[in-house]
Amino acid sequence: MKQNGKTYTNHEKEPNLKGTLLSVGALGLFIVISWTVVFAIFLSR
Amino acid sequence: MALRNVVLPNEDPRQLLAIPKQEAKLYMSFMYVAFISLFIGGLMGLLQVLVRSGSFTLPFGIGYYQILTVHGVILALVLTTFFIIGFQFTLMSKTVGMSVKQRKVSWLAFWIMTIGTLVTAVTILLGKASVLYTFYAPLKAHPAFYIGLALVIVGTWVAAFVNWRQLYLWKKGHPGEKSPLLAFMVTINMIMWFIASLGVAAAVLVQFIPWSLGYAETINVLVSRTLFWYFGHPLVYFWLLPAYMAWYAIIPKIIGGKLFSDSLARLSFVLFLFFSIPVGFHHQLTEPGIDPTWKFIQVVLTFMVIIPSLMTAFSLFATFEITGRRKGYGGLFGWFKHLPWKDVRFFAPFVGMLAFIPGGAGGIINASHQVNTLVHNTIWVTGHFHLTVATTVILTFFGITYWLIPHLTGRKLTKSVNRLGIFQTIVWGVGMLIMSGAMHIQGLLGGPRRSAYSDYGGTEQAVSWGAYQMAQAIGGTILFVGIILMVYIFIKLTFFSPKGVEEFPVAEEEENAEPTPKWMENWKLWIAITIALILFAYTIPFVDIIQNSPPGSVPFDWPIGNS
Repeated sequence: MKQNGKTYTNHEKEPNLKGTLLSVGALGLFIVISWTVVFAIFLSR
Repeated sequence: MALRNVVLPNEDPRQLLAIPKQEAKLYMSFMYVAFISLFIGGLMGLLQVLVRSGSFTLPFGIGYYQILTVHGVILALVLTTFFIIGFQFTLMSKTVGMSVKQRKVSWLAFWIMTIGTLVTAVTILLGKASVLYTFYAPLKAHPAFYIGLALVIVGTWVAAFVNWRQLYLWKKGHPGEKSPLLAFMVTINMIMWFIASLGVAAAVLVQFIPWSLGYAETINVLVSRTLFWYFGHPLVYFWLLPAYMAWYAIIPKIIGGKLFSDSLARLSFVLFLFFSIPVGFHHQLTEPGIDPTWKFIQVVLTFMVIIPSLMTAFSLFATFEITGRRKGYGGLFGWFKHLPWKDVRFFAPFVGMLAFIPGGAGGIINASHQVNTLVHNTIWVTGHFHLTVATTVILTFFGITYWLIPHLTGRKLTKSVNRLGIFQTIVWGVGMLIMSGAMHIQGLLGGPRRSAYSDYGGTEQAVSWGAYQMAQAIGGTILFVGIILMVYIFIKLTFFSPKGVEEFPVAEEEENAEPTPKWMENWKLWIAITIALILFAYTIPFVDIIQNSPPGSVPFDWPIGNS
C-alpha cells in the first residue's frame, strides 16, 4: 500500500471471518427462500 | 490522499466531550415526549388489536379510525422523531460539541416540534382528523392536523441546520481531519431527512392546507400520494439509520470490541443516502396512473438498498467474530458465546437485529411487483413494519435508553433495572413474534389492513382470519405489558436510580486500521448524486402524472376524516 510517498506492508494476519461468511450466507439464503415461498403462493393463485 | 489516521481526541472515549447540565435538560425534553408518546400510542395499539379480535367495542363513541390515527401518528411520527432528534443531538454534542447559541436554536426546534405535535394530537383526539398517519387524500382532516404536522417538520429542519452547523464548526477547527464517525452519520441522516421531507412539506403546504381550508376545491390525489411516498420511504430509513449508528459505533464498545471498519460504515451510510429516496413508487405498485417502466426503475433502485443492508450485517457479524476470537473463543461459531447476553445494552438491540432478518426479507417481498400484489394493503404489511420499526428500531432505541438516560441524568443503570430490561426485551420479542407472525399469515390469507373489525358477511375467507386476529390481540396485550415495563424503566432511570456516572459508549478504531479515504467526505458529491438520482427517478413520471391526471377530488370528511 502506497501512502504519502511511502510504502507500507501489512504484516498483520487477516482475521478469521469464516463464521461471518457463513452467517451472511445463511442470511442471504433466508431472503431467497422467503421470497421464493411467497412467489410460489403468487403463482399458485 | 488519505485523511490523517490518528486517534482523534473525540474518538477516544476517555476524551469524549462532556454533556453540560443545560444540554442534558434539552436532550431529556426530547426523551420525555418520546416516552409519553410510547405510552399513549401503545395504549391505542392495545385497543386496536382488541377491537379487531371481534370481542371488544370501543366505549364513549370513540371511533376505530380515531385510535388508529393516534397510534400511527404518535408512534411512527412523534415517538421516533423526538427520540431520533434527541439522540442525534447527544451524539453530536459528545463528538463535535454544541455551542450556547446552538443550544438555544435547538430549544426552538424542540418547541416548534412540540407545539406541532400538540396541535396535531388534540385535533386527532377530538375526532377531527381520523385520516391515519398516511393522511391519504381525498380523506380530509381539520386544517389544524396538517398545520401541526408541518410545524413538526419545520422543527426537525431547525434541528438539522443545528447539526450541520455543529459539524461545520468542528471541521473548521480541525482542518484536514476526518469528522467523527457518529457526527458523519448524523449529518447523512439529516441530509436525507431534509431532502425527503421537502416532498411531504410541499404536499401539506401546497395541496392539503389550502384544500382543507376550502381555498382549493379539489386535490390531485395521485400527486399527493406520490409526494407522500417520496417522503414515506426515506422516513423508514430516518428511523433505521440511528439504530445503525448504534449498531456500527456503539455496540462494538459494549461488547468489548473495536469498530470493524470506519470506511465501510461511512460508505454504507452514503449508499443509504443515495438509495433511500428515489424509490417511493414501490409503495405505489398497484397505483394506476404511474408508468410501469418507472415503477420498475424505482424497484431496481429499491433493491440497491440491499447492498448497504448486507454490508451492515457483514460488519456486525465480523465485529462479533473478531471480538470473540480475541477473547479466545474458537470454532466456527464459538465467538457467539462471548456476546454479553446478560447486558441489556447489548441484548435489546441484538433482538432488534434478529427481527431485521425477517423484516428485511419481508421488505424485499413488498418491493417486488408481482408478490406485492399478493400482500398489498393486507395486514402482512402491518406485520412487516411492526418487525422493522416496532422491533428492530424500537428495541435498539430501548437499548440506547438504558445507558443514555442515566448518562444524561447523572444516574446509574442498576443490576435490577438491567435484569428488568432483559425481561422487557423477552416480553417484547414474544409479543411481537405472536402479533407480527399472525399479521403476516393473515395477510397472506388476504386479511386487509387499515380496517376495523368486520365479519364481511360471514364469508369463509373472513372466518379463516379469526384465529389470527385473536393471536394479534394476545400478542398486542403482551406488547402493552412490555410498554408499561419500559415506561417504568424510563421513570426509574430518570428519577430514582442511584446517582453515579454511566458510560456513553463509543467504539474506537483498531490501532492499525486502514485510513479512511478523503473522498468519503465529499459532501457536495454525495448531495449531487442524491439529487441526480431523485431527478432521474421522479422527473419524467411526475410530469406525466401532472399532465395526464384525472380531475381532482373534492374532500371527503365522512364517514371518517373529520366528522
